Amino acid sequence: MSYFVPVRRILTSEDMEKWQNGETYEAIVQFVEELANSVVGKTNDAECNISGVIQGVLDLLDDVLNVIKSHPVADKTSSRFGKPEFRDVYDEITDRSQDILARRLPLEQATGQIGAIDELCVYFNESWGNRTRIDYGSGHELNFLCFLLCLKRLGLLESSDYTAVVLKVFNQYIHVMRVLQKEYWLEPAGSHGVWGLDDYHFLPFLFGAAQLSTHKHLRPKSIHDPDLVEMFHKKYMYFECIYFINSIKTASLRWHSPMLDDISGVKTWSKVSEGMQKMYKAEVLSKLPIIQHFFFGSILKAPEGCSPPRKTFDNAEEGHTHHHDNDSDEGLPEHQHTWGDCCGIKVPSAIAASEMDHSPRPLPFD
Amino acid sequence: MDLGAITDLDECIELLYKRQLLPEITLKALCFKLKEILINEPNIMQLQSPITVVGDIHGQFYDLIEIFKIGGYCPDTNYLFLGDYVDRGMFSVETITLLICLKIRHPNRVTLVRGNHESRQITQNYGFYTECMRKYGNATVWHLFTDIFDFLTLSAMIDNCIFAIHGGLSPNVHTLDQLRLIDRFKEIPHEGAMADLVWSDPDTESSGFSLSPRGAGYTFGVDVVKKFLSMNSMDKILRAHQLCNEGYQVYFNGLVTTVWSAPNYCYRCGNKASVMEIYNKDQHYFNVFDEAPENKDQWPKEDIFGEVVGGDTANAQHIEYFL
Repeated sequence: MSYFVPVRRILTSEDMEKWQNGETYEAIVQFVEELANSVVGKTNDAECNISGVIQGVLDLLDDVLNVIKSHPVADKTSSRFGKPEFRDVYDEITDRSQDILARRLPLEQATGQIGAIDELCVYFNESWGNRTRIDYGSGHELNFLCFLLCLKRLGLLESSDYTAVVLKVFNQYIHVMRVLQKEYWLEPAGSHGVWGLDDYHFLPFLFGAAQLSTHKHLRPKSIHDPDLVEMFHKKYMYFECIYFINSIKTASLRWHSPMLDDISGVKTWSKVSEGMQKMYKAEVLSKLPIIQHFFFGSILKAPEGCSPPRKTFDNAEEGHTHHHDNDSDEGLPEHQHTWGDCCGIKVPSAIAASEMDHSPRPLPFD
Repeated sequence: MDLGAITDLDECIELLYKRQLLPEITLKALCFKLKEILINEPNIMQLQSPITVVGDIHGQFYDLIEIFKIGGYCPDTNYLFLGDYVDRGMFSVETITLLICLKIRHPNRVTLVRGNHESRQITQNYGFYTECMRKYGNATVWHLFTDIFDFLTLSAMIDNCIFAIHGGLSPNVHTLDQLRLIDRFKEIPHEGAMADLVWSDPDTESSGFSLSPRGAGYTFGVDVVKKFLSMNSMDKILRAHQLCNEGYQVYFNGLVTTVWSAPNYCYRCGNKASVMEIYNKDQHYFNVFDEAPENKDQWPKEDIFGEVVGGDTANAQHIEYFL
């Protein structure tokens, strides 16, 4: 197998159809299902085997936490919402990810060649949010899942590790994300507001519902009972999510999260658990605005026959260079412009503007 | 004017101030009436001070009412709304319906500019479509509203010296005359002048145009702002489109100002909001406000989703996953 740096390939609804019938989609669905099954009936503190690789990934998450600690927000009074220090965090993670992955995980790499680590790094780097926009959404969360799926495919994770993958690794990832979201005010840019499950996350609800699916006493409606939420938020991810949302949102749950309110009317946690998996397929894995940013390499392969990799801009053309940002939507068809450089400032040059005029383009971020 | 089930416009407005939904047939009549007004508006509305400029609202109905409470009700105060009335918040339908009624009732005192969320594609992804389905049980009202969006004007000029727009500048638009020539009566395109005007953002790090990280529009720096202002004999630009913590943000020594009017965005961001009260060419005041107290109340479910209007509100699409 020859490795290559993953690229985005999904752009059109035809691509989406191929993606949904493709092998990578199926592998992700199955991986999520197996991870969920591995924590049925288990609390966060359940005993599980911590393999060397699991410990390595936990150490990686610690490395990320340490990077965060070294970039405190200087100006807490600025009116800008997302804090620009997030870009320093992102840059340090991407600058160092090759090294820390090599140190924490048993990955062989011949110097000068593209290896598994280069593929892993893309998913790892994309797991923390978008550098330019300073935002985060379920697409970034999906990248961390893909990072874990790659580890599985490289033979570094066994199904016997899955309980630890969810209860230890994924839980700690959510912890790191909460720190990032809070410290740098990551904008919930892809959020559907009150019309979505959550501004940032999906999988902790899915895994959390699986944990509870065989519980003898707790019911989905328990999320409305503050005492139960208080009592169980450390034991179950779903309750942690509710606890966290209640702590951060000012209105009542019924108002700011009508979807969670509706789901609390479902009779059993096992129905919630099944529903979460269906919903993840429909609302995350089948949504073009999310999947158009999905990266395909040799480990997670692009469906056959989908759009070619998108061209990227040579940033130097813009008269300035900035840090490489995988998810910056570089390479979108260039807009036609007439301003030229009449004010002495170069506008980005068009890449085959005329041919691109009618080509599809991704849904913008807001 | 025949408003179907409800025949009186003032009665509609009264109901809407109480956050009640109007029947579909009434919405249809209102949208028809509004279209007649909007189709005659130019791409740049000529307005005079005193006027209050409002930024993004995003369905935060009670915060819109808060604006009227602190800034004055229509028609006592002239209002220029800079777009993004819908998506994300709980009450986009009520918000846009109220604004439509106020516009029909006081067409010369209320101006509605189009934002990037006043679009079919965006509202299908960020909540407004879901909300219409949930509150009316079908997509008819979503079609009515999004058809109206195609008629909204793109910008305004206050006292011949302040240029106001949802997003910002476009490398395709050097002069206001070019803007006047845009055929705006359509879905917001993916690219080109009309897209840029609703999608672009100011950028303090580079002086010219760069591609926007949003994937639509551009970022524009101080040099292109100065160029645009001098070519068009304008003093400054007002715009919305970006969340700011203090409710407004001043760029380039006041040449560009962002106004943001959705406090505690998504009930979590903790930000303040503001409206910009313009008294004359040189004087203005940022009226900063926090979220409306109603947002913190405990609400029974029926009270949030209102009475069923022509459909089954319990029939939420997403719940099917869990049956």
